[in-house]
Amino acid sequence: MSVITLDHVTKKFGDSVVVNDISDEFRDGEFITLLGPSGCGKTTMLRMIAGFEKPTSGEIRIDGKVVSSADTFVPPEKRELGMVFQSYAVWPHLNVFANVAYPLKIRKVPKAEIKEKVEKVLEAVHLSQYAKRMPSELSGGQQQRVALARALVAEPKVLLLDEPLSNLDAKLRERMRFEIKEIQARLGINVVYVTHDQGEAMTMSDRVFVINSGVLQQVGTPVEIYRKPENQFVADFVGKVNFLKGVSENGKIKLDGIDGTLDYSGEITGAVDVAVRPENIRISEENAHFRGKLLSEYFTGDTNDCRITAGGNELRMITDAATYKHFSDSETIGLYITDFIVFPASDSDFRKIMT
Amino acid sequence: MENKKKFYFDVKWLFIIAIVGFLLVFQVFPLVYLLIRAFFAEGSFSLDAFTRIYSTSMNWSCVLNTLITASLSMVFGVLIAFPLAFLVGRTNLYGRKLFRTLFLMTYMVPPYVGAMAWLRLLNPKVGTLNVFLESIFGLSEAPFDIYSIGGLVWVLTTFYYPYAFITLSRAMENMDPSLEEASRISGASPVKMLFTVTLPLMLPSIASSALLVFVAAASCYGIPSIIGAPAKIYTITTRIVDYVYVGSAEGLTDATVLAVFLMVLALVILFISNFVIGKRDYITISGKSVRPNTVDLGKWRIPLTILTGLFAVVVIVIPFASVFATSFTVNMGKSVFEEGNFTIKYWETIFSRNSIVKSAGNSLISSVWAASLGMIVCIIMAYLLKRTNVRGRSIPDFLITVGSGTPSVVIALSLIMTMSGRFGINIYNTIWIMVIAYMIKYMLMGMRSVVSALSRVSPSLEEAAQVSGAGWLRRLKDVVFPLIGPSVVAGWFLIFMPCFYELTMSNMLYSDKTKSLGVDLFLYQTYHSQQTAAALAGAILILVAVLNIVLSKLTKGKFSI
Repeated sequence: MSVITLDHVTKKFGDSVVVNDISDEFRDGEFITLLGPSGCGKTTMLRMIAGFEKPTSGEIRIDGKVVSSADTFVPPEKRELGMVFQSYAVWPHLNVFANVAYPLKIRKVPKAEIKEKVEKVLEAVHLSQYAKRMPSELSGGQQQRVALARALVAEPKVLLLDEPLSNLDAKLRERMRFEIKEIQARLGINVVYVTHDQGEAMTMSDRVFVINSGVLQQVGTPVEIYRKPENQFVADFVGKVNFLKGVSENGKIKLDGIDGTLDYSGEITGAVDVAVRPENIRISEENAHFRGKLLSEYFTGDTNDCRITAGGNELRMITDAATYKHFSDSETIGLYITDFIVFPASDSDFRKIMT
Repeated sequence: MENKKKFYFDVKWLFIIAIVGFLLVFQVFPLVYLLIRAFFAEGSFSLDAFTRIYSTSMNWSCVLNTLITASLSMVFGVLIAFPLAFLVGRTNLYGRKLFRTLFLMTYMVPPYVGAMAWLRLLNPKVGTLNVFLESIFGLSEAPFDIYSIGGLVWVLTTFYYPYAFITLSRAMENMDPSLEEASRISGASPVKMLFTVTLPLMLPSIASSALLVFVAAASCYGIPSIIGAPAKIYTITTRIVDYVYVGSAEGLTDATVLAVFLMVLALVILFISNFVIGKRDYITISGKSVRPNTVDLGKWRIPLTILTGLFAVVVIVIPFASVFATSFTVNMGKSVFEEGNFTIKYWETIFSRNSIVKSAGNSLISSVWAASLGMIVCIIMAYLLKRTNVRGRSIPDFLITVGSGTPSVVIALSLIMTMSGRFGINIYNTIWIMVIAYMIKYMLMGMRSVVSALSRVSPSLEEAAQVSGAGWLRRLKDVVFPLIGPSVVAGWFLIFMPCFYELTMSNMLYSDKTKSLGVDLFLYQTYHSQQTAAALAGAILILVAVLNIVLSKLTKGKFSI
């Protein structure tokens, strides 16, 4: 239904750069997630799209119309967006119906139509029977649905969500992921979703924007950013990963301290960082790339979560639950790497990071 | 287990009983006695006394004057405080910090100082400001007359709007900014947002701040006694004090009835704002740090800053400056800047005249006692209230709140009636009757300070020390006191300061030997020498300012007043 264009958008608070020169286009009907650690600038980015912050430089366009630039600024109330706030921001002096009806009242929609639309949207978020309740009589999850209904009721071109699930308990959080995704798919609207939870980003998004310290690290589908992270930060922030240092030469990678090599068909040569996901390490005596000593193992139900040391490297391996208690502690086992990612060596040592 | 608990005697009860006992004897009993006396003046139930209030025009007019001046001050106070709180708290006005300090300063200045200043500025014949305006605009007579209902309302308003300012600022700053943003993103313009979201959310705070100003203005004695008396405008408070001075039985009965009227008015309002409005208060402090968004004033930024600055100059700078100017003036009919009209002899007087030094000493002793005893009560009560679930722990808190909400004249009158030997306790004419009156009136300030400090200290901090093996006293010493210490000191000063220059209760309770600083100042202002009074007031202003700075440093800005 609409296209959001970011054109060299930069935001500074005083001297600190919060968003650094981001350009991209959110396409029609896309579910976009801005993902990054807290303080990375993702919320500021969202607030600039909403119109609560002015970019220091650069331009933002919605459907080709400039909403923020050096000489134009459209205030939030004129942008026809829907937004769900992290604190929900459900007005405590209005009941559920009045909260949801508010955007329509502002737009001077006739009363009968307001009633019809509010009832419809309340039904969509499963709150029909709560229309007369005051917010203080609702649970956190219900308040969150009120906020969602209010954001959707005026049929906005774009729905902005600022960590909407972070205050909910784990079970509800997981259910709401699917409900939000389903509503988005049904209405076909654009969603810009801010989160620091990579699980949410993976399950809901069409494209994920990974941001760190105001700098866009990678844009891609969930599969792309997981399987083909463009740098160590993305590999580390999205999913779990082990980092090893090594040298790439003649289609082989020699890992530091490890007796054994990996076959590599990529183009990077010289000193490299090798990222290995814990689930891409397998136990195999016959195809073993190298051998490691089992330090500890934890049974999680569906997997066996192991710590292994190999030549001074500590590795995490997540493997089949059936292997639990198969080996004794400190036993040396053969390890096979099914997949790995190679980066040119960076100055910082990522090996210490165990996630 | 259940049975054992029943017989378990909690030591904490001893403290509660001691404190409640103290409050029952010195606060509840005297107030209840006033009530009884008002209805049973001649031994049997009668409303005669009340009918007399309505039938004698002298009494009736003072009730009317009180209601009129308090209502008008309330309306004007809120009308002034709301925009100020908004400008200072939520916009990019220049000099917001300075303005905040200025507006809050009035809060700790004794009201009679304001009355003195405005008397000097707006006297219809020689008022400095009147004379100035006359010469500028070529007027044939003074534009303002302080000796009027309008003058009284003006001074009351300029002194009590800070009460509303504090409440409203706090509410505005604690509001979750996304509540307003949600309105903007829903399509509301800033003005529409103000009327549909901000104002409705603020309504409980506006109402309670208005009531606060009303009660403060209605209970005030210093301002109406200095301004109203020469103008023959009497209020309930000045009338009560007059009756007490006369001392006849009928006079005391009339005073009692007027006091009961004022007390009921104040306590009903206290109840409404605490329990009715308080329940509807939407402004809750969330655990998250709330950063209210700042409204950009755009092209209005400079004009509004100038306007706010003008207001501060008129309401704060000019009156305080006039007090200091007066204290250096030889002939009150001429400007202090005229040749030979400048002197420092009044400042020498206040530090050398025996009677004044003696009064200052009396005030120092009684307010140190009131603050120290008061803080002991406050610390124990705050601890029981916040850290235990002993039953009845909130009773003293309730009584302390009621005591502070009771008008000063009423507290003093009730103590005069009950503590002069009639019921086995005679502390009349001693310093102790003043200490007790001060404690009842001002303990709440200390209580608030300690309670809020304790609320900020998470119980888990103490539990962590407990788990580490620290006993009760050790925990207090190692964890609790270092964290709440500054607030305890702040609380002590918050009780000490208003007691030190207290006028209303002291004026009714003093004897020759226990004359306090406030009383002395008042007597100089009314009968002897306005310059001496001004010098005393100036000294008090400096003391307040210095203590305020110390407090602010001590608590890192949390508890300056």
